Amino acid sequence: MVSVFLKNDNIKVKAGVGKTMRQIATASGASMEFGCRVGDCATCIAKIEFGMQLLNQKTEKEIKVLKMLGGDVSGLRLMCQSHIRCEEGEIVVSYIF
Amino acid sequence: MLGNRESLSKNVHFIGVFDPKIRIFDIIMKTANGSSYNSYLVRGSEGVAIMDTVKKEFSSDFFVRLEALCKYEEIKYIVLHHLEPDHSGALIELMSKAPYAKLIISGRAVMMLKGLVKTDIAFEVASTGKTISLGDKTIEFLSTPFLHWPDTMSSYLHEEKILFSGDVFGSHYYDERLYDDEVGDFSYAFKYYYDHIMRPFKHYVLEALKLYAKFEINTIAPLHGPILRSNPQFYIDKYAKWSSEAKFRKHQFGKKMVSVFYMSSYDNTQKMAQKVMQGADKVEGVVASMYDLASLDEQNMIDLLEESDAIIVGSPTINGDAVKPAWDLLSCMAYLESSGKIGAAFGSYGWTGEAPEMLHDRMRWLKFRLPVKPLKIKLIPTEDELMDCVAFGQEVAEITMGKMVEMEI
Repeated sequence: MVSVFLKNDNIKVKAGVGKTMRQIATASGASMEFGCRVGDCATCIAKIEFGMQLLNQKTEKEIKVLKMLGGDVSGLRLMCQSHIRCEEGEIVVSYIF
Repeated sequence: MLGNRESLSKNVHFIGVFDPKIRIFDIIMKTANGSSYNSYLVRGSEGVAIMDTVKKEFSSDFFVRLEALCKYEEIKYIVLHHLEPDHSGALIELMSKAPYAKLIISGRAVMMLKGLVKTDIAFEVASTGKTISLGDKTIEFLSTPFLHWPDTMSSYLHEEKILFSGDVFGSHYYDERLYDDEVGDFSYAFKYYYDHIMRPFKHYVLEALKLYAKFEINTIAPLHGPILRSNPQFYIDKYAKWSSEAKFRKHQFGKKMVSVFYMSSYDNTQKMAQKVMQGADKVEGVVASMYDLASLDEQNMIDLLEESDAIIVGSPTINGDAVKPAWDLLSCMAYLESSGKIGAAFGSYGWTGEAPEMLHDRMRWLKFRLPVKPLKIKLIPTEDELMDCVAFGQEVAEITMGKMVEMEI
């Protein structure tokens, strides 16, 4: 199981491979904001402070949306496009409001 | 006729339109004095920028004003600070008339643009620090999102010290005298606009004010109502005060507020509420309170919700639903910032008991943190069940005070 620390809400969730960050946010009652939920609107943009390698690769749609925002987006993900791909480790997420 | 009022300066002109008859704006806002859809034209030595457009049905007035001041071929940029239809309604027509115009929008506006215009149009994205030049005029962009849509941004015209603030500092107040020092008393409209449009985004207001503070501002040119030129700092200070007011109770005691709102038909949900409150009140640093929704006015609801760090709502289930006052309470969150607040729901029931789950779901959509599952009890709570209510309230309060929530999914 991977430990996902949702920093803004002080919630730590243990979740297995394949669990999406959206599932984790919803099940834990986190205040992470979601808009379109399909990678278009960038509402659920978050900073992966630690453990980026434990998540899936950025999707094409996600790369396109992040690029539009400009600046350094290397540490950013859209939570609706991210899921856990590793068995063990720790991820620290902070949301950008 | 505006006479010479339309000129903010030699090179900056008001080309907006007036809507004196509107009485309800965006379904929810009362507009006793009508409104205006402000747009501005900035002329530089090497071209013209149009700052926002107007509501579609008023576009003929907009184009008349625009055509009196420039040729379409001169328009180098069209800036949309906010894409809501009352500001983007004339965009397509303007772009079709201005062959050399480049559209400038924020990054978050990109998908909205596609949703609104339903066609591909060329645009450039702006964020804080980006500038565009009209020769002897420079416009710098400022990312000021969520004021009051995700896409909103502001810009600053350096040479004239004019802030184009988007909907920030707006008022629904029609007065063709245009300027704050010439129009009638619009103070109620300025505050009403803040309360209904900006109050839910206080955090973002303060972030925007930090960006604005880097510039010397002689005039604020908002998208609705009077242009603020007499003393812009006065309005900035108002926004700063309203957005950062210390909460009454916090101010007094430095404690976190846990509020239990309930309705009860046979005292069962009330008994639960009392125990939930008792549980919450056991936690150091918390002041717990309870309120009977049967006798709470809407304004009191709004103020209490704003004051509260945690909001626990109790409702019986009647005909498969939570009771109307509970829904009315949560509908007041439309006026407030909900991100970061903790929510929870409970209630007694006779048949099916959907109410707590429904309220919990509603709070999720309102972006509450909901770390505790809804609590429901069939009819009269037993002593053990009342102890569950105490534990429920205590858990919510402990999380409010910073206890980490750990779980496995």
